[in-house]
Parts: sequence; structure tokens; C-alpha cells
Amino acid sequence: MTAIHVIENPTLENKRRVLVLAEDRVGHYPEFREFFVKQFALAANGLSRPGYVQAPSGMVYALVFIGRSGEPFPDGIEVYALPDALEPLNGAEVDADLWALLSWMIAGVGGEWRAEDLDATGRLYQLSMAASA
Amino acid sequence: MGTSGSVQCFTHEQWPYEPKFERVNGWRMHYIDEGAGDPVVLLHGNPAWGFLYRKFIKPLTAAGRRVIVPDMIGFGLSEKPVREQAHTLDGHIANLTGLLRQLDVRNATMVCHDWGGPTGLGFALSNPDRVRALVIMSTWAWPLPPAEFHKRIFPWRMMHAPLVGPYLLGRHNALAGRGMYLSVVDRKKFKAEAQSVYEGILPDPGSRLLTWTWPRWIPLDGGARGLARFEWLERELRKSKFPTLLVWGREDEVFDYRTFATRFKELLPHAEGPELVTGRHFLQEDSGEEIATKINRFLDRIGGKQP
Repeated sequence: MTAIHVIENPTLENKRRVLVLAEDRVGHYPEFREFFVKQFALAANGLSRPGYVQAPSGMVYALVFIGRSGEPFPDGIEVYALPDALEPLNGAEVDADLWALLSWMIAGVGGEWRAEDLDATGRLYQLSMAASA
Repeated sequence: MGTSGSVQCFTHEQWPYEPKFERVNGWRMHYIDEGAGDPVVLLHGNPAWGFLYRKFIKPLTAAGRRVIVPDMIGFGLSEKPVREQAHTLDGHIANLTGLLRQLDVRNATMVCHDWGGPTGLGFALSNPDRVRALVIMSTWAWPLPPAEFHKRIFPWRMMHAPLVGPYLLGRHNALAGRGMYLSVVDRKKFKAEAQSVYEGILPDPGSRLLTWTWPRWIPLDGGARGLARFEWLERELRKSKFPTLLVWGREDEVFDYRTFATRFKELLPHAEGPELVTGRHFLQEDSGEEIATKINRFLDRIGGKQP
């Protein structure tokens, strides 16, 4: 599976944002929050800009980090696809891209979290992406 | 607060019951209310809804009992909040309390399964004047740990991990589909009879939020949310004297009866059972009528009727 690439300054002209995944509690396991803080320098960048990644389909995704009073930052993450402004999404491509994003995240969190266990969980629940992983 | 998947009616040959709704604790809660007599309240957990008890209702009402089956806020035909922060264990106990007080339920038997355990027992222990008896199935009511299964990364913690939960259980509805399928004994029958109903009642990713939120409320360490409430549940349950029946699935490998029913027996030495039936975690699917018969006999016994 093609890797996820962090990119700094994607072209946003003539693109629109489409919310494709939302996480209200990224710190449920704190190591996940720490991964995003390190990966996107959130201690310095805070809310100033989203993180951007390019996924296997070529689509760029914006990761928007959510703060909530009284909680460590970020508390939530919204993942937005950035398709051409007037084009509908290809649902299967987005699904595969998100699976790649999850695999990249789990590998980055590391420790007891292993991409092999994500694949095994996906296979248990009969996800086609996991079967081909 | 936005909501999603607000299905308000459901017709099915196995569910010929009139939907009723009450506004409780700020949310629209669906329930059915059938029969007349002392009430039996049937409480489901994650990711089910009242349909799980479809084989209980006729035997219980035919025996002269009133049967109330609420859908937890976030499941079934009830309102489905779209923010995780809308769901707390205390909030769900308060939701149930709101409904049962509005219905002025008294002398109730609380039938508790999965998250219907902590919520139903929470109601019983904080409203003892309204409760007559308990029936406890495949659940828990103490702080740490619920089961070895819940501590493992594969598949449990991975399934509801940040972003993985919204993807796997949200976009792909994994718990209401494959998850329930894996947690019954007769999978062929379940697939033919019920799986599409559980999947269809959670039609969109946003309507499935509680399926990955509840797993995150299971305490795994001393800093977990809900820990104090589980400590209270265990403490108060140990003091309680409600007549209690334990019913467990013989094949339940998550809340296995040797661990969990034994722990309930230690907390409630006067409890009857465990009475074992064919079943994994969703034992109602495999042994619905049999469990209903056991409940009727139990209630007849504690009510002084001869079996």
C-alpha cells in the first residue's frame, strides 16, 4: 500500500473541503494525541493551520485539530478530503485512503500499537482493504 | 445539539408494537409498553435496541406482566446525538431514570444486559423504592478490569481506538453487523432473521457514534472516566437485597460465566443461578423464549406462586 505523505503547502485553489471522518476524543489513548502533536508540530503551530497529507489515490486531506477548554490540545480531529470544487467524491477511493491514513497513524503511534493488529482487526470485520493489506 | 439517523418508525413481522416516545433528560427516547401488571423493564446494550428482546415480550405479557422496552439514547428509534461528549454513563442512567419516573414505574423487575447492566443497576440502586427484582445477563458492575478481552489491543482496543472507531464502527458499521454475528451461537439464523435489522437501524456513520463511545467508557486503569460510578455500583450492589436471577450464555467467551456470574454471586450471595442457556454475549438471540420462561418462573417464585 502506498504510504501517506505529509505535505506542507498544498494547492487549495478550486478545491473544496469535504468532512469524511471525525474523532471527538483523540486523547482517549494519549499516545495518539502525542503522535499528532509531534507529527504536525502542534505545540508550536496550535490552531494556526491544518495538517495536510497526500493519500494513495493522490487526494490531499486536511487534518483539522480541535481544541476544547479544559482538555489537552488537540481534543478532536476532523479529516477533510480536498477534491476539485465541483466534483463528487469517489467513496471507495476515500475509504482506501482513510485506511492508509489509519495504518500510517498506528505505525507512527508505535509501542504496543502495531499495524499488524489493525490489519487483523480489519480482517476480523471483513474490510476489503484489510484483506488486501 | 445535532442528531443523526432519527428513524421514528419501524415495521417488522417480529416487532408489531406501537412505538412510544418521551422527552427524557433533554432527549427523545423511544420505548414500547405492552401488557398490564407489575412491570418488567428489558434493557439492551451496545449496539442493540429493543428488538433484541422481541422473543421475550409475548411470553411475559401472556403471564400477566407489563413489559417496557426502552431504546437507549443513541440506539434504536431513540434520538442519536452526534457528539461523543453527549454520552456519559451517569447521563444514560439519568435518561433511564427520567423515562421510568415519567411512566411512574413501581415494583419493577430490571432485566439488564451489556450496558443495560451498569445503567439499569444504576437506576435500581438509586431508586430502590421502584424496583422489585433484578435479572442480570452478560454484564458487569465493578471497576477493574471487566474482562481480559477488554485489555487486549486486538481486536477490542484497536476497534475503538482514536479515528479507528469512527472508521470501522462508524463508516463500516462493524459492531452492529459482523460484531453481533460473531457473538451469537446460531449465526446462520441470526443472519437470516436479525442482522439486517440491527444494521439498518443505524443507517449512517453519524448514527453509530455510541457503538464506539461505549467501549471507551469501560474502565481500563485507575484514571478512567466512570471509575467512581463503577465503584459505587459494586459497593451498593453488595448491600442490596433485591431478589436476583443470573442468566448466562454457556458459550459466552467475553463475559464468561465462570468469571462474571461467579463475581455477581459473590456480590449477591442470595442470587439464583446462574442459569445457563445456549448463547454467546447476545444470548437473547439464541435463547429468547427460554430466558423469558425462566424470568416468568423466577417472578412467580418470588411472588409466591407455585411453579
